[in-house]
Amino acid sequence: MFSLLYGLWKHMFSKMEFHVLILGIDKAGKTTLLEKLKSHYFYSEGLPPDRIVPTVGLNIGRVEVSSTKLVFWDLGGQPGLRSIWEKYYEEAHAVIYVIDAACPSRFEDSKSALEKVLRHEDLQGAPLLILANKQDLEDAVSTDELSRYLDLKKLDERVYTFQAVSALDGLGIKESVNWLVDAMERSKRTEMLRLRAGSSLV
Amino acid sequence: MGIVFTRLFSSLFGNKEARILVLGLDNAGKTTILYRLQMGEVVSTIPTIGFNVETVQYNNIKFQVWDLGGQTSIRPYWRCYFPNTQAIIYVVDSSDTDRLVVAKEEFHAILEEEELKGAVVLIFANKQDLPGALDDAAITEALELHKIKNRQWAIFKTSAIKGEGLFEGLDWLSNTLKSGGG
Repeated sequence: MFSLLYGLWKHMFSKMEFHVLILGIDKAGKTTLLEKLKSHYFYSEGLPPDRIVPTVGLNIGRVEVSSTKLVFWDLGGQPGLRSIWEKYYEEAHAVIYVIDAACPSRFEDSKSALEKVLRHEDLQGAPLLILANKQDLEDAVSTDELSRYLDLKKLDERVYTFQAVSALDGLGIKESVNWLVDAMERSKRTEMLRLRAGSSLV
Repeated sequence: MGIVFTRLFSSLFGNKEARILVLGLDNAGKTTILYRLQMGEVVSTIPTIGFNVETVQYNNIKFQVWDLGGQTSIRPYWRCYFPNTQAIIYVVDSSDTDRLVVAKEEFHAILEEEELKGAVVLIFANKQDLPGALDDAAITEALELHKIKNRQWAIFKTSAIKGEGLFEGLDWLSNTLKSGGG
């Protein structure tokens, strides 16, 4: 009996991990971000940026941030591959949306892909972290400018924030992850996913 | 090409024995791919139980190839080849649309194997040189790759006959294994 209860307890708490989707159009820097996260929190080497090739599938990063387990799912952003994104929505606790802030010519593409993500009901209530990436480049726009450009109307009822980062040199990464962990811990969606995982046990 | 390969995979596993399984239905192009990599002699073995495993030993990495599908009675013997498998290369004939459903089922069945849970998965959408070959996005859909959530995967369009796409895929594989795998 004890072991049964212990098993249940273990299942409910120790296995609790957060799934975070890293989305964005191609060349936004999603995999570079993932590798940065891995090297920052996992003390692994992480792949050097010049070895990173366009993703045509799924990259995974598992890290632990102050005893919270995070699993990052980094999906390819080329137009033909974006149809896979939604298959991962249902189990995701939160979304990181990466934008190349130094490439205004692709803001429109970024915006429409993001709007499509936000419209999807499988992602309802998922906290959203929008990253204005590539701040190491001189012509990168600020988060204010980017948010003005994106002009997202659907964001009202969603927990979200903008953050300026450089996946290359690590600027803003820590702040981003802290915000994300906090947002997921408070989120109703987390509660919902936990309940669902619990009921599938019985 | 052999040299590129040496550069990619030398020192990847240290002195540890490692295994990469090259799997797929018959006629997907698995053996042609091994020949293309030019890394050693392909040795065919036909054990008395009647399933044929081709092995290429490359430094401390064993590449082992067999056909999925067909006879179910011999399947338990597959498990002899599962331990220490770091990666699975799954080869699909992208032009054989009639058998994609079988290719999908066999693929997901093999991923269920307990001893292969840690292996990363590289998919070759092969035979891109043939007319009517589906592209990587279509093969992704057909194989339901999105169901893979606990390990890294990638898909590459290849033509083993022309030697295209193979090294891009292996490049991904060596990077992924280097950075810690799934």
